[in-house]
Amino acid sequence: MLIALVLLALASAPLGLLARREPRPLIGWLLALIPLALFAGLCSQLPTVLAGGRVDAALPWVPAMGLELRFALDGLSMLFALIITGIGVLILGYAGFYMDKDPGLGRFLATLILFMGAMLGLVLAGNVLTMFVFWELTSVTSYLLIGYKHDYPEARRGAQQSLLITGGGGLALLVGLLILGQAAQQAGVPATEAYRFDAIIGAGEAIRQSPLYAPAVWLVFLGCFTKSAQLPFHFWLPGAMQAPTPASAFLHSATMVKAGVYLLARLAPGLGGTALWHTTLILVGGATFVFGAIVACRQFDIKALLAYTTLSMLGGLVLLIGLGGDYGAEALAVNILAHALYKSALFMVAGIIDHEAGTRDLKRLGGMRAYMPITMVVAALALLSQMAIPVELGFVAKEWMLEAALESPQPAPLRFLGLAAILTAAVAYIVAGWRLFRNVFLGQPHPDVLQHHVEEPKFGMLVAPALPALLSLVLPVGFLPLVSQFLSPAAGAVLGEPLRFELYLYHGVTPALLLSLSAIVVGGLLATRERQIAALPGAPAWFNGGLLFDRLIDGMLAFATSLTRRTQVGRMRAYMLYSVLAFLGLVGLPFLLFGLGAVRVGADSDLHFYEIIATGLIPVGILATITARSRLGAIIAVGVVGAMVSLFFVLFSAPDLALTQLLIEVLSTVFLLLVFSVLPARFESLSPSWVRWRDAGIAIVFGALMTGLVLATATSELFPPLAPYFLANSLAEGKGANVVNVILVDFRGFDTMGEITVLFIAVLGIFGLLRFRRQVPIAVRRSQHAVIPGAPVGGAEAATPEEEPVKG
Amino acid sequence: MVLLLAIAIGSLFGGAIYLMLRRSVVKLILGLVLLSHGVNLLIFVMGDGVRRGAPPIVDAQGLPPPGVADPLVQALILTAIVISFGLTAFVLALAYRANQAVGTDDLDDMASTDRL
Repeated sequence: MLIALVLLALASAPLGLLARREPRPLIGWLLALIPLALFAGLCSQLPTVLAGGRVDAALPWVPAMGLELRFALDGLSMLFALIITGIGVLILGYAGFYMDKDPGLGRFLATLILFMGAMLGLVLAGNVLTMFVFWELTSVTSYLLIGYKHDYPEARRGAQQSLLITGGGGLALLVGLLILGQAAQQAGVPATEAYRFDAIIGAGEAIRQSPLYAPAVWLVFLGCFTKSAQLPFHFWLPGAMQAPTPASAFLHSATMVKAGVYLLARLAPGLGGTALWHTTLILVGGATFVFGAIVACRQFDIKALLAYTTLSMLGGLVLLIGLGGDYGAEALAVNILAHALYKSALFMVAGIIDHEAGTRDLKRLGGMRAYMPITMVVAALALLSQMAIPVELGFVAKEWMLEAALESPQPAPLRFLGLAAILTAAVAYIVAGWRLFRNVFLGQPHPDVLQHHVEEPKFGMLVAPALPALLSLVLPVGFLPLVSQFLSPAAGAVLGEPLRFELYLYHGVTPALLLSLSAIVVGGLLATRERQIAALPGAPAWFNGGLLFDRLIDGMLAFATSLTRRTQVGRMRAYMLYSVLAFLGLVGLPFLLFGLGAVRVGADSDLHFYEIIATGLIPVGILATITARSRLGAIIAVGVVGAMVSLFFVLFSAPDLALTQLLIEVLSTVFLLLVFSVLPARFESLSPSWVRWRDAGIAIVFGALMTGLVLATATSELFPPLAPYFLANSLAEGKGANVVNVILVDFRGFDTMGEITVLFIAVLGIFGLLRFRRQVPIAVRRSQHAVIPGAPVGGAEAATPEEEPVKG
Repeated sequence: MVLLLAIAIGSLFGGAIYLMLRRSVVKLILGLVLLSHGVNLLIFVMGDGVRRGAPPIVDAQGLPPPGVADPLVQALILTAIVISFGLTAFVLALAYRANQAVGTDDLDDMASTDRL
């Protein structure tokens, strides 16, 4: 069931391409049938989940490593899955109208549906590795959606930033999750189950004691904070507003950015309860909460304003996980629902205003109440919920948040810090909400805007934000018991034990209510001064995360370029030198430090004088090769070395090798003579003498190292020899007495075939090189194509004409 | 006898590295030839002991001589000898052709052929 749901969502993504055809505006609502079907499928599981049960489904892949495709549906997953599919329905329908003139609508909707499938997989995953795959898939689809208008440099920048930051965080997260799996195994969980969420949570007690706990938690934090735009990684979220508004409403407010919150909430029963966990979450979440809310009050772009309130609210949710306790878990569930409803509605309203008035700039808008009164009501409903004005869902959620801070089991300073953050943010939300409403709907519009034909949007477009905005009001007024019943299992999953709670609108005069009301009063007073607040001097211009991040990336690229320029000089021997020095450093040094004890020089009683002469002739031949001034001398010297190697094979029981080596030696000499006859007759000393002495020193050290390594390893018996098998089976299995031959043609026959293939390719290459020699030489051809930018044009070496080819 | 082989391998590797660090194509090719000798002997000595006078040839009953040499490394080296010969032949043809096109055997003068 669950596997089918996720696969259906992913597999139906190509259907989005249908939107390239007519009927344009309505195709979105037609495609919305996909999330609607998923929504219905999820609802059919509601009775099980509300009763506290869980639906499981798994496809094993590599069980021994704990790799599997596992899905599990409990209260928390259900809350997220219904938000994803429910808002998905509205977004798809809305996008059809919003982008009705955009030729790329098909591509956009296909990516959007793909994202929905990935997000669904993420929140339904029952195994951390399964979850990680979908986690990354949401990052990739988010990148595609932000960069949808790829003609604009700003869109590309936003897309790149978001991918680098969430992708980098994803890598940290993967390592963190793997460490968690290891810690679970150390706690006695079998490897097949160690990566399941319930196993990690079940082993939470042992994991928290483990030395692996702190690194794992920090890495998970890194992944969640980047994904959910917490300080100091927040800046990618405002940049992501380059995405078309339906994507912003869906990914960057209601669903994807909550993935980090989801994972923290999911792991809270296992990893929570430590000072590290709660202190970090309260500090980071609280700071983001306040920062986003205050910065939002000073924005002039509607979407930027909404983006900052979104990242603020994400901070609020992280803060709630940090505060912990019953109320923390309950407040988290309520706030996730409330925020998803009002923020998706607000983003869609922003899109409507942009669509109708042609701008999102608060300085140019105004007076829209005369042109789009219904939109104004929708916006007001959603804004009131965000501002936590009584009887809206946001009000209930805010009061629960205050309760969570008041009743938090954390030590007093942290608790009060959280409370202060909530109150500050609550005040700022009212200022930001009023600023948005007043500058869009009240006052007088800018003359430019009136040149647009501003009117109420079509019904198919307006209904999408109207529904969640209405729910923000209707749910608390009429259906609080139902909502409580629905949210209880979700809160229970965050707490780690079954839980039942009842939301209420009014429950007598409590400290939370008083605090909430006083925040509204202070906020209302400040809201009348919103213009002055926006005009206050802000942080210096360089203090901008996005800018600093760009500098970091630019610096990294510049560093890589200069490093490449310096090391990739285009000379073979330079690369050779790097390799040799790396070998000396990585193998030679450890050998010198730790391996010298293994060197064994055994006495040999059978040593013959001719063996010593053969050995001695090898260095002599090599020296003669190196110092030869004529090519003939060098060829003879190399021949002597080859002959001595053949002699070695004769002496040490390898007659086949000796024969082959001798044959090849003769052939090689003929080849060398043939080719060297056209090359310069005498060697010149091309390098200065200090370079030659340096290279000689390196070569001697290298040779000595090889000698030492051979002496240290030749007699080692770390592995059983394979020889006895071949010796025993050669006649019986291979029907041959010469074991070497049997190995070549029988035991390792495929190897020999590969060898023949290599030789054949070499022959083809040689044939090609020699056969086509009459063609225009490379150098001349390039000078004709000198239009390539950066190519040396008419350089001295490029103009060298070809010598007359040798006849024969 | 491992000592003998060790000295031979060390000098082959050292000489090969020195020649491959030179600017002349010819020396580079000679270095390549020496390097393949060195590698072949290295494989040889890594087998199940180096023996005298006991080639891996079994008798009519399928029994090897006492103290037999390792047949597997010999088979591997046989392949390696032939392949390195193919490589040497190809590089020689390449040097021949490059000399025709560029008119030099100095690798530094050929650096321009890398650039596009």
